[in-house]
Amino acid sequence: MAAENRPDEQLVEATLAGNDDAFAELASRHKSRVFGIASRFAQNGAELEDICQEVFVQAYFKLRQYRRDSPFEHWLLRITTHKCYDHLRKRRRTAPSISVDVMLASGYEPAAPECSAPHPELERLQAALGELSPKERLVITLLELEERSVQEIASLTGWSEGNVKVRAFRARAALRKIMEKPE
Amino acid sequence: MNDPHQNPKPDLDALFALARKHRPDTSRAEYAFETRLMARLHDRRQSGTSSIWAKVSWRMIPLFAVCVLALGLWRTEVVSEADDTANMANVDHPEAADLLNTFN
Repeated sequence: MAAENRPDEQLVEATLAGNDDAFAELASRHKSRVFGIASRFAQNGAELEDICQEVFVQAYFKLRQYRRDSPFEHWLLRITTHKCYDHLRKRRRTAPSISVDVMLASGYEPAAPECSAPHPELERLQAALGELSPKERLVITLLELEERSVQEIASLTGWSEGNVKVRAFRARAALRKIMEKPE
Repeated sequence: MNDPHQNPKPDLDALFALARKHRPDTSRAEYAFETRLMARLHDRRQSGTSSIWAKVSWRMIPLFAVCVLALGLWRTEVVSEADDTANMANVDHPEAADLLNTFN
């Protein structure tokens, strides 16, 4: 059977048996979902590529840990969520958050125009999201932009449902406060 | 009284709806992603093999140190034995022994 017609579980088995083409097919099949989530957190094309590659590299090396009790895609999205969170934490440690206005005034050009916001209101929202803590940003992005349910977020992040609700509430309040702040 | 510099209350729900509608286009970034990914995996596997060698080499350091010490001790003993033999040879040659006494 051609690789593109085989179910994910068979491709996982084939990858574990040493068939790298099977993993390439898995990557091809699921990359859009991974890119979709990661693009909500990446600031430019290079960051986006980096996050997505790290997701699939980890999936490849930890494939033996994938238990077949949930779909492969769900397992992959859990890795994606953790990688995005790690990325937010790393960015916060290494560089202070800079507003979009300051970046544009200093001549910054996004490496990938497709990642920049096409609307001034969205630019404001993205700048405000950048000022949230990594946990707040993660939860608000998954809940409001990716339209994931509380239960799904709990499963993706490993937090309890109550924790997700509390963090989402606080994130919303923090976001409102940031956006009301005089410029 | 409201602060005149403060921004009006943002309608977060409307902003989120707008953001959902404007999903970033990642099609360019996705192009040939599998090829780049497989190349990176290949590199990682190779660096993984070399890092195993590096780990093994580090673990062998105490063994190497013991070998160097043992070799050093053995060499010292051999040299001192050779010196003793040379001294005895000097005793057999009185001229050489006289010369040694002059220096001592």
